[in-house]
Amino acid sequence: MFDDFVRHLFPRAVRENNLKITYTFCLGGMAFTLFLLLVCSGVLLALYYQPDSARAYASVVHLEEQVFGGCFLRSLHRHCANLFLALVFLHSLRVALTGAYRPPRQMNWLIGCALLGLAMFSGYTGYLLPMDQLALWATQTGMEVVKVVPGGEMLAAFLVPDAVGSSQSLLRFYVMHVLLLPTAIALLSLLHFYHIRRQKGVLPYL
Amino acid sequence: MARISQNRRTFLRILALLGGGWWFLGRYLRQSGTREQRLARVADADIPPRGALVYRNERFAIVREAGSVYALSLVCTHLGCTVNVAADVLRCPCHGSVFDRRGNVRRGPATRALTQLRLQRDGDYWLVFSRCGDHHV
Repeated sequence: MFDDFVRHLFPRAVRENNLKITYTFCLGGMAFTLFLLLVCSGVLLALYYQPDSARAYASVVHLEEQVFGGCFLRSLHRHCANLFLALVFLHSLRVALTGAYRPPRQMNWLIGCALLGLAMFSGYTGYLLPMDQLALWATQTGMEVVKVVPGGEMLAAFLVPDAVGSSQSLLRFYVMHVLLLPTAIALLSLLHFYHIRRQKGVLPYL
Repeated sequence: MARISQNRRTFLRILALLGGGWWFLGRYLRQSGTREQRLARVADADIPPRGALVYRNERFAIVREAGSVYALSLVCTHLGCTVNVAADVLRCPCHGSVFDRRGNVRRGPATRALTQLRLQRDGDYWLVFSRCGDHHV
């Protein structure tokens, strides 16, 4: 049954030329694989992290120094996050340069742009969580930038009701990072793949 | 024959992956407790009668006052700078928090007192311990 399901994910026929790695560089697939890895490592990290401004940093230090594999998992999560962003950006660039955003795939291009935005936002919300000096001041700077964008004041008021790094804002960043944004990315990714499948995969539109 | 071999190979691969994953998760999830770390061994005679013996690298001070001896973490509870020990107070050079000699907050922005580290008598010496996360060197 599982094999049948996997077979249905792929089109019945593709051109041999389109199977070349240089056609898409498999950037989207690699990005999604990293997303799955980020979810798995994130769930394990969440078992030790305490989203409280007084205890967050101590819990990260505890994870790194006292828990078996904690340092490895945290590094894995961080490096995967960096690579994930780079791959999503390169994937968007590839789509833009090869003109793959043109009809009939314009809807999927828009979904992809939303995914790029969500990925960046997810990285930003995750940056505050260790609550060290770098996290605090980088988030503070980011918030100042957000405030000058149209509608940014509203977003800043939602994300930071008290002050950056205070208990309420840390909790909101945490909820965004571990619940809302990954769910949105997962759902939009499935929609993205559905559109690709419906449009019969990578066809030579150009 | 080739099919049987392939199945066996896949089975062994899955078994190795599950076994490795189970082992890692088991060790990762095991309660490690709050292990203590010994920071220093200090001779009782070295602590001045009314003053403090400061260990800047280890970021703690041993204070003797009114006959009692206690150890204070010098990690500021605001944002983790090392506080300076003056005659009557401890002052953070980064954002100006001030603590009294017991570590209680006299002036913010810090809101929590300095952490008291555990001391243990060992003959003529004092052993200073810190719990992970409470006092980051």
